[in-house]
Amino acid sequence: MAAREVAARRRQRLTEAMRDAGFDVVVLFGNAWQNDYLRYAADFGILEGEGIAIVDRTGETTLYLDDPLEAERAAAECPDLATVVSTDIVADVLQSLQRYANHRIAAGPRRNLPYGLSRHREDMHLGDPTPMLDRLLMVKAKEELDAIRDAAHLADEGYAVFRNAARAGRADYELVAEIEAFFRANGVDDNFMLVGVGGREVRGMTPPTGKRLSPGDLVTTELTPCVDGYYVQICRTLVVGEPSSLQQKAFGVYLEAMKAGISVVAPGVTAADIAKAENDVFHRHGLGEYTTSEYTRVRGHGLGLFPDTKPQILEDVTTRIEEGMSLIVHPNTYHPEVGYIVLGDSMIVGPTGPEILTRTARELFGTAATGGVA
Amino acid sequence: MRHGLMTWRESELSQADVLARQRRLQAAMRESNLDAVLLYTNHVRSGAVTFMTGFTPYWADALLLLPADGRALFAVALSKRVGTWIQSTNPTVEVAHSPQPGRLIGDRLVALGAKKIGVVELDRLPGGLVDEIRAVATAVELTDASALFGTVRSLPDTAEAGLARQADAIAAAAFATAPSKLTRVGDVTEALELSVRNAGAEECYVATAPDLASDARLSRVKGGVRLGTIFAVRLSVAYGGTWIRRTETFASFGADATLSAIAYAADELAAKLDLGADVARQIENFNWPAGATVADWSIEAPFGTRPLQRVASKAAPPLEAIPYGVLSLRLDSRTPVLLTRLVGIFGQAVARRSSA
Repeated sequence: MAAREVAARRRQRLTEAMRDAGFDVVVLFGNAWQNDYLRYAADFGILEGEGIAIVDRTGETTLYLDDPLEAERAAAECPDLATVVSTDIVADVLQSLQRYANHRIAAGPRRNLPYGLSRHREDMHLGDPTPMLDRLLMVKAKEELDAIRDAAHLADEGYAVFRNAARAGRADYELVAEIEAFFRANGVDDNFMLVGVGGREVRGMTPPTGKRLSPGDLVTTELTPCVDGYYVQICRTLVVGEPSSLQQKAFGVYLEAMKAGISVVAPGVTAADIAKAENDVFHRHGLGEYTTSEYTRVRGHGLGLFPDTKPQILEDVTTRIEEGMSLIVHPNTYHPEVGYIVLGDSMIVGPTGPEILTRTARELFGTAATGGVA
Repeated sequence: MRHGLMTWRESELSQADVLARQRRLQAAMRESNLDAVLLYTNHVRSGAVTFMTGFTPYWADALLLLPADGRALFAVALSKRVGTWIQSTNPTVEVAHSPQPGRLIGDRLVALGAKKIGVVELDRLPGGLVDEIRAVATAVELTDASALFGTVRSLPDTAEAGLARQADAIAAAAFATAPSKLTRVGDVTEALELSVRNAGAEECYVATAPDLASDARLSRVKGGVRLGTIFAVRLSVAYGGTWIRRTETFASFGADATLSAIAYAADELAAKLDLGADVARQIENFNWPAGATVADWSIEAPFGTRPLQRVASKAAPPLEAIPYGVLSLRLDSRTPVLLTRLVGIFGQAVARRSSA
């Protein structure tokens, strides 16, 4: 399905939700870090500067951008979108909102809305559209799920590129260079990606630091290619050379935990149920300590127009899982004997259970002595 | 997010360099009777904090609180698990972690007894962070300090000039080494991304105008789109948190003498452009080869929290003081010709691939 049709379906859902929530106008802010609210309404993948969209109840949308280069790009990439370029988009949006003086206006997301707008929350009676948008972002339309399915193969192909690139002596940023080059050549607009290289001293993943791969190192990565706005993620771990028996034994815990988490995914369960299923495996292996925030952030999360959207898969998150959500289950954490290990697959929540999107083998991969896939 | 190499390079940007910048801002805030200055950062609005500390967040956001005297506090939403990496790439400040970094800042303001706080681009600060600060520091006055920061930020800086030159050299080398016979947009973007990132760049954006005869707008184009006879590519490159852009126009059939002559002329203009004089006059009076004329131009520079922001153009030519800039030109020749060059720094890169 064409991206433009997916965007039209989103806008239809947004106007329906606005009607149900009693909003005449919504004001949505975004940038390349937090683009999901903005992109939901104005189908533009912003890179530089910031943007604010004003959407009325008919779905008519005006996008305010503060960067002239981005405005030029928006005109080329989104020719149907009304775009205004201005150095002071906050002031211009406030000016535009004057014509909606007797309407019910909501502006969000609440946390990131510029202070120049949020300080008018009281005097302009600005509502908060955050819960409304969060729900739209979590439970997706069929057209959105099809877009996510279409993007999934690139996560697998990207990981194959990563495996082939990994060999002793190469620097972590050189692996990322190969991935990014592959993705850009194949229609991937963006990619959320972290790496980790080493052994027990590695407690998590970061951007590349220049570390060179050595025999025996665990090399972890999460790749999250974005196609036409939708992210799909894969997490895998490889060993430079042949995995040791200790590394294989440790990896077995993560494989068991991921399978346990995925087996629970179905409409009606909670995010906490999935996290608990994963964490129980670690507890059974005497590794319960490593399921805490000291060693891991989340046990999975939602995916969509943001690479790390709600619901977070944690034992204290009671959000109910629904058909039409897209998630990743990843029991990523530190292992005291071998270091940080990641393993995760993306999925769509179907009527009775998960539809797994990523198809890369769930293995602890090894590389040949001189490079490439073993 | 930032995908490329993010590491502290003491030989290129030293702790003494960034501490000197912090001292200059502290002196300015004391003259303005401010107790502290607050600077926001995320990977889009990284410019101010990167300048003051050398650090850019790959993800999430953060606040830098620089008191009028003493060490800066960097309050970041990233978790403690990446704290070692943050401290290694942000060595001059105290790092604190919280899902609510505004609360950490509020706590520190209370502890300092601070009353009047300058905020760079106050109206663009996320409202939720203001709420977090005010939930703790109920009595502080927040005032916009963008102009004050500008007086420090606009000064030429030797270390920053070196990083900009290196970023420009990386971009120039990528163009110079890209294969000359390419047919698809994806071939170009793949080659450029690989070259730039392998050279240690922190980030790279590629925009393309695949057929200048029909459309001179630069955008992100899908890889399968075929290149026209004359096409342009813009590389935006970050190295050590410092951004430049470089645009080249190519002929898909190989070397083109006219395009080469115009590109070399752009190098010449960039090398001698005096940012302290009338920039518009210098650009418009420049003698271009092959009858080319300037249809449009703009200059971007580090400004406020933005790594690069348009600060002058043909439509709005007055140029305030900037530390360095990038000049984008649209020239009319037999097709439009798009070129971007680093300006205001001696020794810009000049290498290009042979077809330009």
